Amino acid sequence: MKRVAFNLMAWTIVLVTAFPLIWMVITSVKPQFELFRIPPTFWPEEITFEHYRRLLWETPFLTFMRNSLILSFSTTVLVVAVATLGAHSLVRFRYPGRERLAQLVLFTYLLPSVVLILPLYLMMVWLGVANSLLSLVIAYTSFALPYALWLLRSFMQGIPDDLESAALVDGATRMEAFFDVILPQALPGIISTSLFTFILSWNEYLYALVLVNTDSARPLTTGVMSMLVSSFNIEWSLLMAASVMMSVPLIIIFAVLQKYLTRGFGAGGVKG
Amino acid sequence: MLGVMLIAPCVLIFCAVIVYPLVSAVYLSLFNIFTPTLQGNFVGLQNYAELFAGEEFWRSLLNTLIWTVCTLFLQVVLGVAAALMLHQAIVFRALARSLILFPYFVSTVVAVLVWRWLFNDLYGILNHLMMWSGLLQMPLDWLGSMPNAMVSIVLVGAWKYFPFVVIAILARLQTIPDQLYEAATIDGAGAWSRFTDVTLPQLKDVLMVVVLLRAIWDFKEFDLIYLMTGGGPLIATQTLPLMVYKEAFGLDAMGRATAVAVAMMAVMLVFMVLYLRRMGKEEAR
Repeated sequence: MKRVAFNLMAWTIVLVTAFPLIWMVITSVKPQFELFRIPPTFWPEEITFEHYRRLLWETPFLTFMRNSLILSFSTTVLVVAVATLGAHSLVRFRYPGRERLAQLVLFTYLLPSVVLILPLYLMMVWLGVANSLLSLVIAYTSFALPYALWLLRSFMQGIPDDLESAALVDGATRMEAFFDVILPQALPGIISTSLFTFILSWNEYLYALVLVNTDSARPLTTGVMSMLVSSFNIEWSLLMAASVMMSVPLIIIFAVLQKYLTRGFGAGGVKG
Repeated sequence: MLGVMLIAPCVLIFCAVIVYPLVSAVYLSLFNIFTPTLQGNFVGLQNYAELFAGEEFWRSLLNTLIWTVCTLFLQVVLGVAAALMLHQAIVFRALARSLILFPYFVSTVVAVLVWRWLFNDLYGILNHLMMWSGLLQMPLDWLGSMPNAMVSIVLVGAWKYFPFVVIAILARLQTIPDQLYEAATIDGAGAWSRFTDVTLPQLKDVLMVVVLLRAIWDFKEFDLIYLMTGGGPLIATQTLPLMVYKEAFGLDAMGRATAVAVAMMAVMLVFMVLYLRRMGKEEAR
């Protein structure tokens, strides 16, 4: 009896927490006129995918989606590749300044974007790449690289030293040992770091707001917000459909790769 | 030698996108720069003098502190409670965990759109539910008046970021040895005293780290507040990051904006040093 009551209470809390997201999905399939019913209906009386159709074919949503995909993939690949080499160096090699560098990484991981953004904006204007996806990839490395480097470093510290030593004794060079021994061991860590970096870039808003002001280079975050601002009467069902579509990649990552995500939690790999 | 070569790309990128902008921010704050033309002249410390003499900076700093303290408090309380709950055996626990964690992973843009729809004064479900249950007589203007606007962003902030606390606490709860609880039960401790005497002391370290991290991140939060209220009504919910943006792109005073950013960073440095110290100690262990 006590168990049932506890379960009931726990699930009520879970559902209340998840309610805004459930409401988002429900609103996105309600016909426009049903939104303005007083009192509101909970379950839609009629389910329609009209808003999704309009979103995909009558708004620049697909352009934003493409931009976001290109942007997040490029940032992730660039950052994870560079950070894997860097983390390996921080963990397995000794040279002066190594400890300082590790501290600096942690420090930069906490830096507020608003401090960096104005100089970065000037830099992009000066380089002549302002208003492009390239400028965003460059800017995104400023938060993604310290993050990936810190995360990968803690993953790689978990790989026993003996593995590399054994390979070296067998006559492998250090680079061979890195590719044949370390990299396969670090793979789960690399995968979860990539996922987190991807999510981080996918959700970024401030840099995109400042650095890009043409629809052709806007990612989803600022693109969808511009749909809210530009329309005279706000079409909530359309915006909710956009929100659902924007979250789809996250749901896929969540469902398919949960195992890698939990590994990331363990290494303290969560950023706000 | 190889080690240095492997870290070199990281260091180069760091210098280009972090160290240079950081130094440059301090330098720019000494200039008077008109944003559209990016032309400016040297004014020394005048930007800072104006800032500290004016009211807006202090008001924004106060708003930032109110927002940070309130939302952080809620995040920690809700986060610890939810973690304790999800640590128990409940049906479909994995699904429950995913649902609780999801707000943390959706984009702030999505969170804001959903909440602005919930808060909508005419058709929002929140006003309807509260009027239906008798909590409210009239629909409430959640975002356009004070103190409602501050309360609203604090609540949304708590909802969006408490899963971070859940993740950290849940991971730690799983490592507390069962013997500690058994011993406490034998000594006659009830559920509450088991929590205060066994669980809380074990959680102390991780709570410290979580509070510091979240304090830093909440302090510099831009997206959520900017998109929920834009700092309004007037500047009632304008925090320092919003003031930086407004000075730079609303008032076209790039130099003064960087001065705000640098001042904000100086305040944050206290938390950052505390956190770095803490992490330094853990590394040494």
